[in-house]
Amino acid sequence: MRSSLRPYLPVLALGVLLALAPLLLTSNVALNFLAVTLIVSLAAQGWNLLGGFGGQFSFGHAAFFGVGAYSSAIWQMRFGLDAWTGLLVGTAMGAVTGLVIGFLAFRAGLRGSYFALVTLAFAEVFRVLANSSEVTGGAAGMLLPLKIGAGNLQFSDRATFLGLVVALTVLVLGLVQWIRGSRFGAQLVALRENEEAARALGVDVLAVKLKAIGLSGAITATAGVLYLQYFLFIDANIAFGTWISVEVLLAAIVGGLGTVLGPVVGALALHGLGELVKAAVGQLPGIDLAVYGAILVVAVAFLPGGLVGLARRRAAPRQVRKAEPEGGRA
Amino acid sequence: MSISNGRIGRRTVLRGGAALGATLAMPGILRAQTPEAIKVGILQPVTGTLAQDGELGRTGAEHAIKAVNDAGGIASLGGAKLEMVFADARSTPEGGTAAVEQLQSDGVAAIVGGFASPICLASSQAAARYDLPYIVDVGVSDQIVSRGLTNTFRFAPGFGTCSKTAIDNLVKLNEAAGNPARTVVLVHEDGLFGSGLAKLMAAELPKHGFEILDTIAHPTPARDMSNVALRIRSLKPDLIIPSSYYGETVLLMRTLHQQRVEPKGFYSVLNGAASNMRFVKEFPEVADLDMDCNHWHDPRKDEAQALKKSVEDAGGLWAYNIPLNYSCVKLLADAIDRAKSTEPKAINEALAASTFEGHIMPYGPTKFENGQNTGARPVSLQVQEGEIKVIYPEEFANAKPVFPIGG
Repeated sequence: MRSSLRPYLPVLALGVLLALAPLLLTSNVALNFLAVTLIVSLAAQGWNLLGGFGGQFSFGHAAFFGVGAYSSAIWQMRFGLDAWTGLLVGTAMGAVTGLVIGFLAFRAGLRGSYFALVTLAFAEVFRVLANSSEVTGGAAGMLLPLKIGAGNLQFSDRATFLGLVVALTVLVLGLVQWIRGSRFGAQLVALRENEEAARALGVDVLAVKLKAIGLSGAITATAGVLYLQYFLFIDANIAFGTWISVEVLLAAIVGGLGTVLGPVVGALALHGLGELVKAAVGQLPGIDLAVYGAILVVAVAFLPGGLVGLARRRAAPRQVRKAEPEGGRA
Repeated sequence: MSISNGRIGRRTVLRGGAALGATLAMPGILRAQTPEAIKVGILQPVTGTLAQDGELGRTGAEHAIKAVNDAGGIASLGGAKLEMVFADARSTPEGGTAAVEQLQSDGVAAIVGGFASPICLASSQAAARYDLPYIVDVGVSDQIVSRGLTNTFRFAPGFGTCSKTAIDNLVKLNEAAGNPARTVVLVHEDGLFGSGLAKLMAAELPKHGFEILDTIAHPTPARDMSNVALRIRSLKPDLIIPSSYYGETVLLMRTLHQQRVEPKGFYSVLNGAASNMRFVKEFPEVADLDMDCNHWHDPRKDEAQALKKSVEDAGGLWAYNIPLNYSCVKLLADAIDRAKSTEPKAINEALAASTFEGHIMPYGPTKFENGQNTGARPVSLQVQEGEIKVIYPEEFANAKPVFPIGG
C-alpha cells in the first residue's frame, strides 16, 4: 500500500501547496496570476502527455484549447445550457478532436516534424473557421454574459475559481502519475524511445497514440473551458492562436519533458520569474518578456531534463547519470 | 555640541529629541496641508503588437493629468492632485486583466484605457468585480457597452456609429463630386474590427449605388500585400476601402503605390494608418489624399491645438489616441470633482450623470446611456499637403475634400 502510494507523494505535496494558495493568498494580483498560470499549466499537461511521454510533438495544441473553449461557449450561448455540463462537453469535444486529428495523422504514419506541422495546420484551419463562422460569432468572438453564480461557473471571488483550477490541476497530475506507472504509460514511453522496437514487442502503436492524443486533447480542452469561464470572452485569435500552442510547449520543455510535475513547474517558473522581474524593475515595459526569453534559452541549452530534471539530478546525481529515467532526451 | 569627555549631555539629548520629533512630524503637517494624491490607473498595451497605440494613449493620459494638476487639481477635494499609476496590458486580454488586478491593489480610484476591444472587454469586467470605474478610451466593439456593467463607460463612438457615419459621409462626398465612384474593393484584416466593418459595408454600400467588386481579407500581421495589390489592379475599382491596422495598411498602400494602382480614392474606416501622422511623415506621397473616417480632435478647440503642438514639439507624433485619452482622463477628473469623493460608487454615479464639455473631441456635452456616450461621433479626414484635415462634418471641417483624385 505504502509503496504503491509513494510515486504520488510529489503530486500530493504540490497539490497541498497549490490547495493552500486560495486559502492563504488574499491579494487578487497573486490569485489572478496563479489562476492564469495554472490554466496554462493544465493545457501544458495535456501537451506533455502526448509530447513528453509519447514523443509526438504537437505545434498545434491550440486546436484542442480552442475546441474546448468554443464548444462550451456554443453549448451555453447557442443552446442555453449550463456551464458545468459545458465543461464536460468541452472536455469531450477536445478528446474527439484529438482522436480525429490523431486518426488522420497517425494512420498516415506522420511522425516528428510532419506530425508537428499537421497539428499546426489544424489549429490554423480551426482559427480561420472560427473567425468566419456565424456559430462561433465570427471575428467578434463570443462573450459569455456576466452572471455570477456557482451554477454558471462564475465566482465573485477569484479564490473560489482558483480552487476549482487547483482541483482540476491536481486531478490531472494524479491521472498523469497513474498513467506513468501503468501499462499504457510504459507503452507510450516505449514508442517514444523506439517506435519500431515497441511495435516488434507487440505494442499496438496506433491505438496507444490515439489514446494519448485523445486524453491530451481532453486535458487541454479543459484548460480552454476554464479560460473561457475565467475571462468570459474568446475570439479566434485567443482560442486558436499560436500563443497557447507555444505556451504549453514551453511550459512542458522548461519544466521537464515527460515528467509529471514538469508542466506545472515550468509554467510557474516562466510566468513567476517574469512577474518577479516586472515587480523588481518596474516601469520598463517588456522586461519580463526579455527574462522569459532568457530563461528559455538557458533551459533549452543547459537543462535537457528541464527544471524537474535539474532538481532530480541535484537530489541523486549518480543514479541519474547511470539511468536517465525519463525526460532526458528532448 | 556639548559633548564632554566623549559623553552626550542631557540637554543635547533633549534638543536632539525635539529636533527629531519635529522632523518626523513635518510630513504629517505637510500632508494635512496638501490632500493626498488621487491615483488614476492608466491601462495601455505598451508591449506586444499594439505597443505603438499604447504609447500614444499613455502620452494623451500623461498630458491630461499634467493639465488637471497644473489647473489646481480636483477642486472639491481641496486641490488634490492626480497621480498616474501605469499598467501594461501587453496587447492581450489576460495581460489587461492582470493589470487591472495590479491597479486595484495599488489603490487607484478609476481606470482609463484598454485600447483594443478584447482587452477592454476583459479588463472592464475584471474592474467590475470591484465596481471600479473604467473609462474605455477606444475599444469600438459594441459588446463593451451592452453587458449592463455599471462601472464601464465609453467616451468615444462604437462600431455601429462609426460605420454609419462613415457610409453617410462617403455617400455625401461622392454625391458632391457628381458620383464619380461606383465600384469598390473592400480590403480588411480578418479580426473583429476589419471583418465586422467589411460585412457591414458589403451590406450597406450597394443600397447607395455602389458595386462591391471584391472583399479581400488578410491576417494581422501580414508581411506581403503583393497578391492583394495585383488582385485590386486587375479589378480596377474606383474606390478602395481598407480596414486594417497600421502596419498592414501602410504595406498595402505602399504596394499599391509601387504597382501604380490609382483609384479615384482611398476611403478607410477606423484605419490604423490613414489618421496617423507617422504614416503621413514617413510616406508622404503614399499617404497623400487618403481619407479615413475616424476619431479625431475638434480642430476648433484651442486646447486641442495646444495639446497637438505640445506633443509635436516634444518630438511625438499625433494620432487620435492622444486626444481621446486626454479627454477621457479629463472626463474622469470632472466626475471625481463632482462626486467629491474617490469612492468607486460615487465616481460611477457622477460619470453616469456626466454632462462634461471640457474635452477636446467634437462631441458636445457627454451623455451616457448604458455606459455609451451618445453624443460621440467620428469625423471624416483627408491627408492634404502633409497634414491630416477634417473634411466632414462641414461645421468644423478645416479643409475641402479632394475627390476624385486627379479628377
